[in-house]
Amino acid sequence: MNLKNNATISCDLLVIGSGIAGMVAAARAASLGLDTVLTGSSSGFFLTSGLLDFLGVYPVESSQVLESPFNGLDQLRKQNPDHPYSKIDNKTILESLDFTARILSSGGLEYSSAKNTNVNILTSAGTFKPSFLVPQTMIKGSSIGSGKKKILLADFKGLKGYSAALIAQALKRRHMDVTTVTIQVPQLTGDFNVMRMAALFEDDAFLHRTAKQIESSVQDREILGLPAVCGIHNSQDSMKKLENLTGLDCFEIPGLPPSIPGLRLKNAFETHILKNKVRVFNNVKVAFTAFENEQILFTTDGEPFRTQIAAKGVILASGRFPGRGLAAHREVIRETVFDIPVYHPQQRSLWYQLDFFSPQGHPVNRAGILTDSDFRPVDKTCQPLCENVYAAGSILAHNDWTRLKSGAGVSCVSAFCAVNHFHARKKIK
Amino acid sequence: MEKIIETQVLVIGGGVTGTGIARDLCLRGFDVVLIEKKDLNAGASGGNHGLLHSGARYIASDPEAAVECNSEIRILKKMAGHCIQRTGGLFVAVRGDDENYIADFPGLCDRAGIPFEAVSVRDAIKLEPVLSANLIAAYQVNDASINPFKISIENMNDAVSRGARYLSFCKLESFDMEKKKIVRANVRNQVNGKAFQIQAQTYINASGAWAGYIAQMADISIPMVFSKGTLLVTSRRLARHVINRLRKATDADILVPGGVVSILGTTSLRVDHPDNIHPTVDEVDYIIDQGAQMIPMLATCRYVRAYSGVRPLVSAGGDDDRNVSRGYTLMDHERDGVDNFITITGGKLTTFRLMAEKTCDRVCEKLGVDAACQTEVIPLPATRSGEWSEPGIPHGGFKEFKASGDAILCECEMVPASAIDSIINSICKDKGTPDLSSIAVRSRVGKGPCQGAFCSVRILSHMYQTGQMSDTSGIQELKKFLNERWKGEHALLWDQAIVQSSIKEMIHCGVFGLELEK
Ligand SMILES: Cc1cc2nc3c(=O)[nH]c(=O)nc-3n(C[C@H](O)[C@H](O)[C@H](O)COP(=O)(O)OP(=O)(O)OC[C@H]3O[C@@H](n4cnc5c(N)ncnc54)[C@H](O)[C@@H]3O)c2cc1C
Repeated sequence: MNLKNNATISCDLLVIGSGIAGMVAAARAASLGLDTVLTGSSSGFFLTSGLLDFLGVYPVESSQVLESPFNGLDQLRKQNPDHPYSKIDNKTILESLDFTARILSSGGLEYSSAKNTNVNILTSAGTFKPSFLVPQTMIKGSSIGSGKKKILLADFKGLKGYSAALIAQALKRRHMDVTTVTIQVPQLTGDFNVMRMAALFEDDAFLHRTAKQIESSVQDREILGLPAVCGIHNSQDSMKKLENLTGLDCFEIPGLPPSIPGLRLKNAFETHILKNKVRVFNNVKVAFTAFENEQILFTTDGEPFRTQIAAKGVILASGRFPGRGLAAHREVIRETVFDIPVYHPQQRSLWYQLDFFSPQGHPVNRAGILTDSDFRPVDKTCQPLCENVYAAGSILAHNDWTRLKSGAGVSCVSAFCAVNHFHARKKIK
Repeated sequence: MEKIIETQVLVIGGGVTGTGIARDLCLRGFDVVLIEKKDLNAGASGGNHGLLHSGARYIASDPEAAVECNSEIRILKKMAGHCIQRTGGLFVAVRGDDENYIADFPGLCDRAGIPFEAVSVRDAIKLEPVLSANLIAAYQVNDASINPFKISIENMNDAVSRGARYLSFCKLESFDMEKKKIVRANVRNQVNGKAFQIQAQTYINASGAWAGYIAQMADISIPMVFSKGTLLVTSRRLARHVINRLRKATDADILVPGGVVSILGTTSLRVDHPDNIHPTVDEVDYIIDQGAQMIPMLATCRYVRAYSGVRPLVSAGGDDDRNVSRGYTLMDHERDGVDNFITITGGKLTTFRLMAEKTCDRVCEKLGVDAACQTEVIPLPATRSGEWSEPGIPHGGFKEFKASGDAILCECEMVPASAIDSIINSICKDKGTPDLSSIAVRSRVGKGPCQGAFCSVRILSHMYQTGQMSDTSGIQELKKFLNERWKGEHALLWDQAIVQSSIKEMIHCGVFGLELEK
């Protein structure tokens, strides 16, 4: 979408932020027939694993890994009434996750889940991560947790930050039966980019050569784990082909950014959203100017164009520090678009703990925007700051997703619900 | 039966003093073993400012130390030039600083024989545009900066090449004493937990702030006081010169260039124990506020990390640690009834060579050996394994590595796989166990803006892929390394730094769930 100088764009809903929450909000709005504009940068997808967590650990103090998110949800709501999940019932949560899976499928990417339970996904650090909605290319890996599978792990010579031997050692600690193989990639030498590696998977000749190199290591193996670089646009096909060629079940193992599964996720969201007539202003930052005649006015930031945006409602899904939705200064944390008050531990000495890996998590990770039950940011007296401004995603307070393993879930669910609330209010009028 | 190692001299402590002594002794033909409870520069030598003092800082408080510094800086520039950056130094005062001190400065420098030159305020600001517009006086001196890791690595490398043995992660636990003598040192390997003994003719206590604990093992008491100092590292270099505040030495009044970064410090806080220290938010904020009076940009620039060290000071009574002599203390414990035991502590990085010389002179005297000190005349060789501790070097060498098909494992500091391999090799040669922490001591790994978020996993993966690591300790190793980096990060997280640390936490907790791993 091109922006014209001095033009004014009117819309029902402006979504600020193009992360998971922003994408789901835009998709939901479009599905309800709202005229929607999406702004912000989607570069953060390169940092996401591609796994859509719901609730993986609770209580965090006791590092309790949940077999099902629903085993921890009631306790979480009781102990933390300000947590985003405390504002939503189970049915709506499932509905919004289901909605997310459907729009991704419409964008060409299949996600699977296991009947309301978490699936444990092997990571490239050799750990298992409880997640909920999982890319089809990773789901078969959840079967190795039983310890009964004969596993083969492959890595690629020169692919940085990923070692089959490292993962194998971690699995051996869990008494799993695992062997490894290293695949040579003559096309790539020296310091190459992961994108180039992933692109190779779309080439049949490469798949054949890879399968050939694995051949002698197959023996009694039943399942093959590969780094999550197996194709960009057709990963599902590439995996299927590789399965046929090797005769093994295959699964991807997520790891260090830049994340290819994150890139696929972004592509799928964007495909769906553009199909559904959302107006997308990529990499455009907006600056709030005024509330006027029931509209919220913005200008786009930066040269050479300045465009006005007039929206009836706003979903603030601008993320935390990496997304620039929150900015930390030496004394205070601020919200960057409206300067909405941010809940955070007062002195900086209370933000972080001395143990980086403290199971409770760092207090600053619970900082964020406080909202009413409809996800509208509130002021100090707990009144909504504006009738039609909503917040969604990681910017919300009281959700330390790094410990709860609840990042994508809270984003999908809060975005879905916030849009529903806006829509309902609009209809009444 | 426990293993017994025999040697002529046992050196305890792998800081700059201990490694300097090891090299000096080797040059005089002694057989030497050096033990270190952690790794090179685990103490003050790894937690200091890296300033080679011209002496001007001590002209008022400690003129004797000032003279020593002045002579040592000349020798080191000649003998260990590759570890030193000839930055030059400035002393500057701002409005409100003590006018008497400013007026006395030239006279005191003259008296101590320390070269200096008065510079107009305008010229000073031309030299260093980051200086405050409130400048009222400036002098140029001969300060320089030194890479403390490199100097210790090179000292040890040279000593080992001359027959010394370096035992890392070997902690002295006690001495066996017989009639006025130490007969054996009881040592424990901290990696595998095994105990062994070392039998030497002479035992040298070069354990810095820990000197009191070591002396205690021979029933000797040394009144140590522990003065903690904290330093901040900026993300890029702000000035070419060392910049000192022209006032009586106090907190946060020096900015030292360290290759591609600048280091701001320091503080002086009395602590009860030299172990487990780390920078705090209060210290960080205080240092920035003080430093910004001299260089306003320090209030807004980006910092990548902070670190702390404990000064080894021998008490002479009194409360202000800045008045305890920064001169060194050499004790021949014959006077305490232990004939073959020497302690060398206190002093400065700048004077380590002199401290080593005096200590080794005493060893010669005791053992009746006639051998003169050589460190004043034989230059310290530059070795490949010391090279990667130098910030900046890899940037120049990048093209060359890329052409030869070498992967860059640490992208912040541009450290390629081949460098990691050569560091691992040299650790193995010393019979050490290569791990992320020991590689980090010998390179810039983990010291850039990402603070180890990416390079930690890349290097670990590389080590597994190449068979340099093969056991199940990988996850624990990763956690240990990241937590060590974290000590220096948590107190200065705002602006861009909090963005980076959030990404690190996303990866290592959010995705890998390392906090769940026992
Ligand atoms: C904040 C700060 C800033 C400073 N800035 C400067 C500066 O700019 N310029 C300058 O010239 N000087 C500076 N100094 C002083 C300088 O750092 C020290 O004087 C010097 O590093 C001391 O070196 P060392 O080898 O004697 O002691 P250390 O480096 O502390 O070495 C002692 C070693 O002994 C080991 N050890 C302890 N117990 C045992 C045991 N039981 N068994 C085996 N090993 C043991 C320790 O692990 C340690 O590695 C500064 C100091 C501090 C704290």
